[in-house]
Amino acid sequence: MSNFFQLVRNEQMKLYSQTATWVMYGILAVLVIGFAIVLKVNGDVNGGDYGGNWEKALQEENAQLEKQMKENEFAGDYATQQIALNEYRIEHDIAPGGYNIWDFVQENQSNAAIISLFTIIVAAGIIANEFKWGTIKLLLLRPISRTKILFSKYVSVLVYAITMLVFLLILAVICGAIFFGIEQSAQPYLYYQDGTVQEMPMIQLVSIKYFLGSVNLVMMASFAFMISAVFRNSSLAIGIAIFLMMAGNSIVMFFADYDWSKFILFANTDLTQHIIGTPMNEDLTLSFSVTVLLVYFVIFLTLAWAAFTKRDVANA
Amino acid sequence: MAEPAMQLKNLKKTIKKKPIIKGLNFDIYPGEVFGFLGPNGAGKTTTIRMMAGLMKMTEGDVIIQGKSVKKDFKDAIRHVGGIVENPEMYPFMSGWKNLLHYSRMMPGISKERMEEVVALVGLEKRIKEKVSKYSLGMRQRLGIAQALLHNPSILILDEPTNGLDPAGIREVRRYIRQLAEHQGVAVIVSSHILSEMEMMCDRIGIIKNGELITIQTVKDTVQQTDRNELHLEVDETEKVKGYLKEWGNEDVKTENGYLIISVTREQIPVVIRQLVEKGVNIYGANVHHSTLEDKFLDLIGEGAIE
Repeated sequence: MSNFFQLVRNEQMKLYSQTATWVMYGILAVLVIGFAIVLKVNGDVNGGDYGGNWEKALQEENAQLEKQMKENEFAGDYATQQIALNEYRIEHDIAPGGYNIWDFVQENQSNAAIISLFTIIVAAGIIANEFKWGTIKLLLLRPISRTKILFSKYVSVLVYAITMLVFLLILAVICGAIFFGIEQSAQPYLYYQDGTVQEMPMIQLVSIKYFLGSVNLVMMASFAFMISAVFRNSSLAIGIAIFLMMAGNSIVMFFADYDWSKFILFANTDLTQHIIGTPMNEDLTLSFSVTVLLVYFVIFLTLAWAAFTKRDVANA
Repeated sequence: MAEPAMQLKNLKKTIKKKPIIKGLNFDIYPGEVFGFLGPNGAGKTTTIRMMAGLMKMTEGDVIIQGKSVKKDFKDAIRHVGGIVENPEMYPFMSGWKNLLHYSRMMPGISKERMEEVVALVGLEKRIKEKVSKYSLGMRQRLGIAQALLHNPSILILDEPTNGLDPAGIREVRRYIRQLAEHQGVAVIVSSHILSEMEMMCDRIGIIKNGELITIQTVKDTVQQTDRNELHLEVDETEKVKGYLKEWGNEDVKTENGYLIISVTREQIPVVIRQLVEKGVNIYGANVHHSTLEDKFLDLIGEGAIE
């Protein structure tokens, strides 16, 4: 076991010895800090701009929305939800707070897409590069099974992704605290599900979003890892994985009419839809999604394993 | 002789139905330097990759210190250190970190051992620099250093003198000899440079089209041939040619003013004495052994890849 730990350490050492890895952290930092500055400068997120009489303001907003709904039948979904949320606020005396640190942290979760991108690049390279550099020959000329080497590399990709997520979270908290302040009393997060309004503490929302958001990341990283092991070509792995990540939702939409569309990986990667939203298809339950994800996961890793352990190292 | 360090048993490799290696059988013993010689495409690299477990064997097995590479990979390969083809290292890390990387993959390699190997290959001053700044010769040294980290009893070196300057080649040669003679390491060396092999190896296996043609001890290849070329520098070459033909040397060549005849060792003094008796002025007499190169080309034929 300590042996395995040493292998992961090696992979991390190789990863962090490359300039590209640090550039990725740099880009992420620029995005988070830049986002904070843009929000701050634009200024419309500061303070409760409903003023003292927020109840009246919300009632007016609802009246406005209802009028819109009558005029325009397509305004439907959003307006219904907004009206319900506003009524819930008035009923339970929850004032719409200003933008604060938790809103910022929560919104920064969208940067997980960037982390997915970087993780794909790392996962795509971690095997293919050893072949490209020719170092695979010396790496395998050790009394260690190929299976162990493969999984140390996979774990290393996950460690990298987690490190990046933690980096994002910490940076978002720091920037949020500096730019938007921590003094605001934490407001619960309100959301609309199955026709009723639900409440959730902000911290819980942040945890759920970051945790479930990494599902997509892990799946795409595993996919890129598999392509990397099978084709031993990092560009191909990066290309296909990024294309699928971008096109994922469109693919699901395109086949949405077919019954089997629920088995498409991308229909299941967003687990947040089960917890704070409404799934697009009623067959999609949380347990169904988790099962589908696990099946894909096992397929990816098995393919990677088979390709890495069974094939000759011929042309490296 | 001692137990063999490495045994090849009917080793075969077929790629896409084409037999690449057609059944190799030979043993390599501790304390010897075994040269693996063959023209390009003969299957040297494939064989070495199978020895190192990088390629699957289609048939047969490689036994290292009694353990099968096929069935007992970890226990077999822990005795092996090596460089396969070029000494490829991670260019973005220092030489030291590269060694650290490999040291973590085997139990019980101390910092002291690492420093020892670095000193051995003479890289102390540059070891903290990135490998991307190394010359090919330095990378070759680092490659040898990583191969020796765990004190292997079998060392596989593919083209070990590739890219080294003459001083470096000599150093590596001396070092390989020393490892074999003093530490009983079995060293397997592949090379195209025939004169190199001749100086470095105890035995040489010659492979052609996936088959082992012969294994010869180096002394054999040089002295076994009983015909020597005698080069004579004389005046009146035509007259001397006549004498030689008279004495039964039908095949007399002239090259750069030398007369060249093919004789056995015993005949050399006889020929010279006879010429002196005839009053021929001899300005020089040289004996040329047939070199490994001649032998090699004899054995494999020139430029034949099937």
